Order: sequence, then structure tokens, then C-alpha cells
Amino acid sequence: MRRELSMACFERASPALKEILLKLYRAEKHVEVDHHLYEFGSVEYHIQSPAADPNHNYLSISTPLLSHGVLHSYGFSPYTIRMLKEVCSDAVEIVEPPREGYQLTLKLDFSKIPSEKESEKVIRQISSVQAVILSSQLKEMLENVNSQDVSQGMYKPIKLVYHPREPFYVIKQQQKITAVFPMRFKEPSDVIIATAFFQELMDVGSSEKWSKAPPCTWSPIPPPELRGEPLEDLSTNGGFVSFDISSRHVEGKKLDKTVWSLLNFYAYVKNHIKCTRGFIQRRMQKRLENLVEVLHKENQEEEGDVKKVKENAGCRYVRKLVRFPKSAMLKQRCGEFSKRMKRIRFRIKIHGFGRFRRRWLTIPKLSSPMRYTKID
Amino acid sequence: MASTLRLYLTCIRNTLEAALCLQNFPCQEVERHNKPEVELKTSPELLLNPILICRNESEKCLIETSINSLRISLKVKQADELENILTKKFLRFLSMRAEAFQVLRRKPIQGYDISFLITNYHCEEMQKQKLIDFIVQFMEDIDKEISELKMSVNTRGRLVATEFLKQFI
Repeated sequence: MRRELSMACFERASPALKEILLKLYRAEKHVEVDHHLYEFGSVEYHIQSPAADPNHNYLSISTPLLSHGVLHSYGFSPYTIRMLKEVCSDAVEIVEPPREGYQLTLKLDFSKIPSEKESEKVIRQISSVQAVILSSQLKEMLENVNSQDVSQGMYKPIKLVYHPREPFYVIKQQQKITAVFPMRFKEPSDVIIATAFFQELMDVGSSEKWSKAPPCTWSPIPPPELRGEPLEDLSTNGGFVSFDISSRHVEGKKLDKTVWSLLNFYAYVKNHIKCTRGFIQRRMQKRLENLVEVLHKENQEEEGDVKKVKENAGCRYVRKLVRFPKSAMLKQRCGEFSKRMKRIRFRIKIHGFGRFRRRWLTIPKLSSPMRYTKID
Repeated sequence: MASTLRLYLTCIRNTLEAALCLQNFPCQEVERHNKPEVELKTSPELLLNPILICRNESEKCLIETSINSLRISLKVKQADELENILTKKFLRFLSMRAEAFQVLRRKPIQGYDISFLITNYHCEEMQKQKLIDFIVQFMEDIDKEISELKMSVNTRGRLVATEFLKQFI
């Protein structure tokens, strides 16, 4: 549960990229490196540390863009480039043009990192470049909606595709921005778990304590804002989740958090479903063990009772297939009687009665019925 | 516990006490074979009338008896879709591990969620009263477990939703 909650942030820095860059930084002598990293969401990194240029390392990034209908033929928009320059320190320089097959190439000079304490922070910033690129695109779209997109008194929905088959829509309205997520799941059980989660999301969002959070709604049918969109984008099995983002959610530093939360909403829901399924599995396994333990305990109690009866009767274990003579049956009954006698707890203790009981009331042990007797 | 549940379980217990009188009976059709007659149902003279005990429309228990075996099929209440999938998952999980329970059937009878098959050999190895206690306790535990699972899933969802909305504040 804690791990799931901590994933709420979904780290912006790529862990694998961070590890490689830290190794390069901490290496005592120059090591020639040529790494290709592939990450979820069709993201590709290429890290090079050529022997010909030992003072510099090169990082190339290829990431799918949030499509807006109009692709920038010249690469990233000036807004994105400005965001990148703000994040990266003096140790990083943007290489123009980028390497073939990549949208961005950075030249890293670790010698310009001020101190060892700062190194981890700088490398973490470099590793989160892909998150910066995606966030800046969404921020730019939210800030600069073209007025020509207004249709029928409403702004046209902007379709954003972060991951194939998982588009979401951003609709800019007066005094608010609505983000609509069509939800699709592969399995019917995932749909039900997700629907329960969306109900809780609505309940929590509508409570007074969380009035500052953006209102959330879930509906099984497409909202009216999406009328006119292609049918294939609107056919879902998990309904539509909408967030109404107002100006207070995008002012100052909150814009970055809001944008990152919206970009990772799908991943967040899928992670929750996966963790819930794991939780159900663990719970079922534990319950199975408890139930089986109960059954085995009862069986052991039975065996214990049977053994006690037979020990007190003074008889050995007898196979049920063997028929006993009447004398053996009588002996077994006497054994049970003596067992009952021993189990009686006298409330009133009579001095000397114990000795009398042991002397006169015990039944002597008789011969075992299993002993073979020859029949003449 | 609700009074209707108590009555329902008492009725099942009494029926099982009457029905669990099993004895060894070799197969009449195949020599040297010994099969649970309640599964085969080839000889009507060896079968008793099945008894259906209903608590309500969604909860019922079918007890089919024969000379050497007894089959108990249970339909568990499912109030909503979440309980439906939890019940299906849990009972399927138990059925796949039926060998741990000995008396559990790997596949439930059609129309029911879980089935037990008790033969005369089980009655010889285990005490009749303990078997009945186990089955009645099993029914109570299943209901309790499904309710707890549902509550846990909803609680987890609420906590996760709270953490998500915190990002916006």
C-alpha cells in the first residue's frame, strides 16, 4: 500500500538513465560507452561517451510527442526549448542539429558541475528531460489555445496522445479547463475495480475537506463536450473520467504538478488495479491457509481423541475389517467406561478416596485381541 | 449474525446430519470399481431425492445424496458487480486447490458457485459431526471473507484517490 501511494508522484527522472550517468560521473578514468535505453511509452535514450572526446558525453532522446494535429517540422517549439534551458544547468548544452533518429541531443560536461553534492541533483534533472518535454507541450497547449478553434460557442476539444490507444482530451472553457479521459481495460474484472475506484474518487472530490481539489466526475457515456469526435475514440468499457481544472490549479508551481498528474492518470489507474489484484491474491492465499489449517486441526483432534480412547482402554489399534469376538467388544466397552471414570472430576475431595479408587476401581489390563489363537 | 442466516445454516446442518449416512457400495455396472453414485446417476435406486434450501433468490444450497456419496452445492450472495467478481475469483481460487480440502470439488455444479463431494471414505476417515461443522463454518467464512475483501478494496480505492487529489493542492 505504501509503495502504491508513493508511486503517486511517478518519478520524472528515468532511474536507468540516472544510474548510467552517475556511473559515468563517478568513473575515475574515461570509459567509452555506447548505451541504448528503451522505456515504457516508446521512449529511447542513446548515451555516448566517445574516446575521441573524453571530456564530453552525449545524450540523445527520442520520445513520442503529444500530437496536436500540427507537427512542428523544425523540432521542438521555442517554449519547450526555453523550458529545457531552464532545467538544464551549465553542464548541459543543446546540440543543433540533433542526432539522426532523435529529437534532442544534449552535450554533457561533468567537469562543470559545481560540487559533488550538486552532482546528484544535476544528474536527476538531466534524467528528467523527457518529462520536461512532455509537460511543456501540455503546458503550452493549455496556455495558448487558438481562438480560431472555437466552434458553437465552445472551444474545440484538443486530443492528446501520450501512449497509443490512450488518447485524452483537453477542453478549454470559460474560467476552467476540462480534461476528459476515456478509460479502456482489457479484462472485465479490471473494469469493475476501476469503476469502484472512480466512485471513490468522485466521493472524495465532492467532500468539503477536498473542495480545493479539482472536481471529478465519472460517466459511462461520453460527455457532451466530446460530441463530434470519432466513434473509435469514444468507444470504451470503463466510462469517461473528467477533471475540471480551474485557474487556482495552474497558477505558479501548481501548474507543473497538475500537468504531471494529468499526464500520468492512466498509468496511475493501471498501477492501482494491478496492486489491488495483487492484494486480493495475497488475501485469498492467506484465507486458504487458514481454512486448510482448520480442517487439519479438526483431523488432528480426531486422531488425538481416537488415540486417547484406545490408550485408556488398554487395547492396541485394530483394523476395522477384522470382526471381533464378543469378549473383545466387551473389553473395549470396559475400556471406555474406565476412561469416563478417570475423567470424572470430584468436586468434593475425600481424604483417602483417591487411594481407594486406584486400588479397587481400576480395571486390570487384559490380553490383546490381535493375538492369534489357533482354532481347533 | 442475522436471524435468517442462522435459520438457513441450521436447516442445512440438520439436513446434512440426516443425509450423511453413507456406506461403501461398489459400482453395479463395472466390476471391481467403486464410484460415487451421486456423480454418475446411472442407478436411480441408489439416489435419494435432492433437497434445495433457499435463503433468498440469490442464496441457495443443493444437497444431493446417494448411497455412498453426498454432493453439496452452494450459491453465494452477490449484491453488486464487485462482490460478483470477488466471489468468482475467490471460489475459483479455492476450487483449483481442492486437493488441500479433500472434500471440495474442482468444478462447481452448473448454476452454483462451489461444490463439495463427500464419499463414504471421507466419513470413515473423518468424524461426521466435524465434517458438518466444517462445511457450515466454511459457508460463514466465505460470506465474511467476501464482505471484508469488498471493504478492503473500497478502502484502498479511497486512500489512493485521496493521495491522487493531494497532487492538485
